[in-house]
Amino acid sequence: MTTQLQFDEKRRKAITQCSRCGFCRAVCPIFDLTKRPITNARGKMILLKEVMEGKLPVTEGVAQALLRCTTCMNCTVNCPSGADPQEVIKAARKDMVAMGFSNLFEKMGEVVEKYGNIYGEQERHDWGHKKGSARYALFVGCVGTYREEESVEESIRLLDLLKVDFTMIDEVCCSGVMEDVGYKIKGELARQNVREFQKTGAKTLITTCPYCYRVFKEHPSYKELGLEVKHITQFLKDLDFGLTTDKKVTYHDPCDLGRHAGIYDEPREIIRKIAPNFVEPRRTRENAMCCGSGGGLRGSYPEDSIEISRNRLSQIIEETGAEILLTECPSCLHNFKNARLRKQKIEIYNITEFIGQLYQERNKKEVA
Amino acid sequence: MNIEGYEFPEGLYYDKNHFWGRVEGEVVVMGMTDYAQKMAGSIVYVGLPPEGKKLVQGKNFTKIESGKWLGKVFAVVSGELAAVNEELEKKAKLINEECYGKGWMFKIKPENLDELKNLMTDPETIRKWLKAEIAEHGNK
Repeated sequence: MTTQLQFDEKRRKAITQCSRCGFCRAVCPIFDLTKRPITNARGKMILLKEVMEGKLPVTEGVAQALLRCTTCMNCTVNCPSGADPQEVIKAARKDMVAMGFSNLFEKMGEVVEKYGNIYGEQERHDWGHKKGSARYALFVGCVGTYREEESVEESIRLLDLLKVDFTMIDEVCCSGVMEDVGYKIKGELARQNVREFQKTGAKTLITTCPYCYRVFKEHPSYKELGLEVKHITQFLKDLDFGLTTDKKVTYHDPCDLGRHAGIYDEPREIIRKIAPNFVEPRRTRENAMCCGSGGGLRGSYPEDSIEISRNRLSQIIEETGAEILLTECPSCLHNFKNARLRKQKIEIYNITEFIGQLYQERNKKEVA
Repeated sequence: MNIEGYEFPEGLYYDKNHFWGRVEGEVVVMGMTDYAQKMAGSIVYVGLPPEGKKLVQGKNFTKIESGKWLGKVFAVVSGELAAVNEELEKKAKLINEECYGKGWMFKIKPENLDELKNLMTDPETIRKWLKAEIAEHGNK
């Protein structure tokens, strides 16, 4: 068992690279909310430097401080010294657990193993869609299935409308989130997903969840997958939908899709086809502010998570005056919908959900 | 009254979905019981539907969430949604802090107050039911 925080060459370099300039403060969603130095990257790098130099003991307080991060990477892309604080933080979380400072996600790991999803839902959702062989396999993930069901139903309906030959599988959690919160991916669940995908004979895996996308593409547990992995926006970007809205539409870049995966253009290509009146928020693309749901924060500090989402939503409304906010991430969607105040009339959808609704509206008009 | 370690004030009507109702003038005020709020954990969101929504006793009409738990809110009586507790919009945690007071959730203009007969008021009945719930779902 590890008895201390591990400071390998890469981590030492990142921590000592931090010049304490504080640029990360301007872009940190938690610092924006709390104004407490320990909640942002600079504060955590100072903390870890003190631990590394033996000036500060490792305590429960240190463990808790490390949990207060959405791993949004805004600090990383804005760091003039080239440090990657969120990677350092995730690695330190693992060390803390190894040292005996387990956190609430230990329980989540047990739940994921037992029920195959992060919420402990006992019944697997049946989307009523084909499960068998097809050119494409669709994976929707836990948040979409158990928290944003309507959005997923619309996405499935859209793919059917577009006559995409796809199958679904008996999904279990990709379980990649465990790696971000101090634990390890659930290898047996990953193997189960790989087996199910391979049984379909599909060449391409499409997912509606940016986080699952990253796990399937990057994590060694999925290296035997044998399927091309695409986020749904990458799949749909070249299609022509033949319908538009005249409403003012804006887009929020999910951190897992944008900064982490580099997918910025594909969602916009789709939106520009359907929404001529598209306006960007001021903080957009690699500078988009986080919705607050990532890095385990929705589980560890749920009130902070929703307040951050409220701040981001208010920012978007103020900067764009949009009637419709689009994103393509079930976690962002869910957090925004939880955060939205009654007086805020902006409608919030995933892109695919919105396109599905446009089709339904058109069909209703044609029938009438 | 304290039942199995949980507060269940007298004078309220309790349903088996873990919500309470109280007649106040022409409306029935409803909220979540002490057992339910403790089992839910720190509540972060309650869906607040528009006033005027038609409700049916025992049918769910909105959602409630803590960090990782999602639950349904069931109407204690049939009628029309007269008011929502707007304080919950920014401070859903009031339900945990004062589930029978400031953490009330909705006010319903009832169709028929006879429906209250379908709810529990007798301490012994509530105790038997709660013990069964604890046996099935656990304790906090």
